[in-house]
Amino acid sequence: MSEGTMAVVRPEMKSYIWVKTADGLIQQVEEEVAMFCPMICREVIQMGMGSSKNYAISLPQRVNPATLGLILDYCRFHQVSGRSNKERKTYDEKFVRLDTKKLCELTSAADSLQLRPLVDLTSRALARMIEGKTPEEIRETFNLPDDLTEEEKLEPLRNITDDPRIRLLNRLYARKRRELREREQLKNVEVEEEHGDERSVDDLLSFINGGNGDSKGVKVTKGKKKNRRRKDQPRGSSSNNENGNRTKDSAVGTFSPKLELDDGDIDDELDPAMKEELDREVEDFARRLNCVWPERMQEIRTFDQESRRLLPVPINGAGSLKRYTGLHQRQ
Amino acid sequence: MAYSFPEEVLEHVFTFVTSDKDRNSVSLVCKSWYEIERGSRRRVFIGNCYAVSPAIMIRRFPEVRSVEIKGKPHFADYNLVPEGWGGYVYPWIVAMARDYPLLEEIRLKRMVVSDDALELISRSFKNFKVLAMSSCEGFSTDGLAAIASNCKNLRELDLQECDVDDQSGHWFCHFPDTFTSLVSLNIACIESDVSLPALERLVARCPNLRSLRLNRAVPLEKLPYLLCRAPQLVEFGTGAYSAELRTDVFVNLASAFSGCKYLKGLSGFWDVVPAYIPAVYSLCSGLTCLNLSYATIQTPELAKLVSLCHNLQRLWVLDYIEDTGLEALAASCKDLRELRVFPSDPFGAEPNVALTEQGLVSVSEGCPKLESVLYFCRQMSNAALIAIASNRPNLTRFRLCILEPRVPDYLTLEPLDEGFGAIVERCKNLHRLSLSGLLTDRVFQYIGTHGKKIEMLSIAFAGDSDLGLHHVLSGCESLKKLEIRDCPFGDKALLANAAKLETMRSLWMSSCQVSYGACKLLGQKMPRLNVEVIDERGPPDSRPESCFVEKLYIYRTVAGRRMDMPNFIWKIDKDTGFRLS
Repeated sequence: MSEGTMAVVRPEMKSYIWVKTADGLIQQVEEEVAMFCPMICREVIQMGMGSSKNYAISLPQRVNPATLGLILDYCRFHQVSGRSNKERKTYDEKFVRLDTKKLCELTSAADSLQLRPLVDLTSRALARMIEGKTPEEIRETFNLPDDLTEEEKLEPLRNITDDPRIRLLNRLYARKRRELREREQLKNVEVEEEHGDERSVDDLLSFINGGNGDSKGVKVTKGKKKNRRRKDQPRGSSSNNENGNRTKDSAVGTFSPKLELDDGDIDDELDPAMKEELDREVEDFARRLNCVWPERMQEIRTFDQESRRLLPVPINGAGSLKRYTGLHQRQ
Repeated sequence: MAYSFPEEVLEHVFTFVTSDKDRNSVSLVCKSWYEIERGSRRRVFIGNCYAVSPAIMIRRFPEVRSVEIKGKPHFADYNLVPEGWGGYVYPWIVAMARDYPLLEEIRLKRMVVSDDALELISRSFKNFKVLAMSSCEGFSTDGLAAIASNCKNLRELDLQECDVDDQSGHWFCHFPDTFTSLVSLNIACIESDVSLPALERLVARCPNLRSLRLNRAVPLEKLPYLLCRAPQLVEFGTGAYSAELRTDVFVNLASAFSGCKYLKGLSGFWDVVPAYIPAVYSLCSGLTCLNLSYATIQTPELAKLVSLCHNLQRLWVLDYIEDTGLEALAASCKDLRELRVFPSDPFGAEPNVALTEQGLVSVSEGCPKLESVLYFCRQMSNAALIAIASNRPNLTRFRLCILEPRVPDYLTLEPLDEGFGAIVERCKNLHRLSLSGLLTDRVFQYIGTHGKKIEMLSIAFAGDSDLGLHHVLSGCESLKKLEIRDCPFGDKALLANAAKLETMRSLWMSSCQVSYGACKLLGQKMPRLNVEVIDERGPPDSRPESCFVEKLYIYRTVAGRRMDMPNFIWKIDKDTGFRLS
């Protein structure tokens, strides 16, 4: 505006306006660029502000000098008319690669200057930083307090794998297999540990009558039958390779797959004396769990026989299977 | 707060966060975000209509414009849920009519919708735009007439596989002549005729119509007229695809189809006369979606049709496609994402088509983007499943339905444990799985170990003992819905994993071995679960506690006991042993 007495030649012959940020800093900015912001535009045109240092436009509090610089960069790029959409898009994508704090400040500042396109751009960028994250991660990203109560969150916070009952069951099952495999007597060591936990299981299962029969053999035999079949398969078959692969990933699982997969082999190599011991082991294990193995086994076997006579009803379809067969059975 | 900005700005940011999961995360960040999020939430998804009450939803989200609600458990599709179970939408409509006057969209699945509910919808929401009902029942064409008459701004009317009490096709004439806003219409499940002149006028005056799925009653000869009035269609469902073989009819139809330059999805095709199939050939290269699940086209024509659709992403087809057709599919459709193969004769004793596991293996080899599979067949092998798993580790949905229960690997007579084990181990992003065939506890061990992202699991006629169920409940971290039928799973696994049930949406167990006593214990100890015993043999108390219940449906809820249970559902209360509903 007051270029008449310039000492230095400004090649672009740009005009400048004066703005003041909340920290008191007054500076000149290119008019053409700054006018891209509706708020500044209004101040200049309607209020006649910005023409000199004394009449510097007071920018909203949320606009600090650094953020102002960024905003002006944005405006400087976009106010040039000749650019293609692709160019603008590429620029925008690079522009929002800022840390969270700067991005937040920028969004806030752009909003106060009513620069809608920049608000949308930065808001989208922030939304992308929110998407896919857990609440905890979001809190970390945006430095927010964790001030919701558990009730407010309405999510059971218990980590289920830490549940003592689960741990007990897992341990007992794993232990059974360990024993079968290693054929060691670990009972003495384990019993003390489990005694404390056992009470909670008992409480839960107390209505089931304890009892043990002698048909544990049934279960073991069943297992044996499968193994016989598996033996017929060549050892180097793909399924065994699969088994090998699976043993790698036991970090997360509550069971160690390796122990499981050797189960089958073990049963086959047992001599009768060992088998007897195993039967007793399983009985003992069952007693500890306070459950009714023989009755269950009997029920399972009967159930099994009966259900084979049931009509095979298709399952797991997309629904309305009846329509494909022309049978409209909506009972 | 370090990075704070005004509420409106944060609200604006949240408008770009749209998925339910993300919005739920946002609401759990901190108090202020919770408040802002709830005030700006426009769309709510309620996966179980009994998990929350209308009042709670309205209180928390006052500015909702779009609601989606699901009712009955998935196994209702297999007639396992008795009539009268529940899932009534009326109380929701009453509450929303009062408090959401600006509501625009209602989407329902497996709910009972009465004519009164439809009537109330039509009168209560001035800006109502979308009514989408999938597998719903309880209403008649009178209710539809109310919607047609009163919803002046209706954009979408979608009746997907609903059971409609057909009074007459006259309801269709209730759309006023001034009504022009229709974008999507699906009346495929309506059995009666709708007035053809009314349909033709409607199509002609709705310039934004993008999706039109007709019912079986609309004859083939009428299609050209409709298609010519709506060349902007993106999705089209024919009626009965049969007529006398006449050249002029064929030529008209082919020409009309070729005028639909934007058509991406085709469906319908009841009663197909094969000679008319070539009429759609001009569309094939543009199709991304083809639903031939009612089309009784046989292999040669079917394979030819499918192999012309180079850009196909989704194919639903009957098993008439056979292995040869699936090989053609694998060779031609490299963009395929989803395949569903339905059985043409599920109750037949012998296979009627040459469709085996090989078809699925071919598709898994040839289609690199395949991620969703639903496959009905009669035989399977571990080798095939292992091959599928190694070909397609990008599978996200895998539902295999071997028609006969407990069928082993037909080559080795082994259980299919290893095959399914390979699937869960390789397919790290698998979130939906349905099992079938002969399976032992071992498969559940694999699932518990590897299926960390599985959200929905369907099990039938599988497993040996409680250990199977225990593996699943203790291992599958992301599990939301578990449905089980006819498995030897009982009390121990259920009770030991009781806490897990609160982290899931629901558990269905029918014809298993859960005793009434265990149900009582669960109901008494877990106040945030509704434990519903469905037993049509009379009060469970009249039998010993160790007696197994017929069906069990457990779901988490903040709405408490529901009041609309029929007399064969026995709710377990924490106060009393049981209470008659």
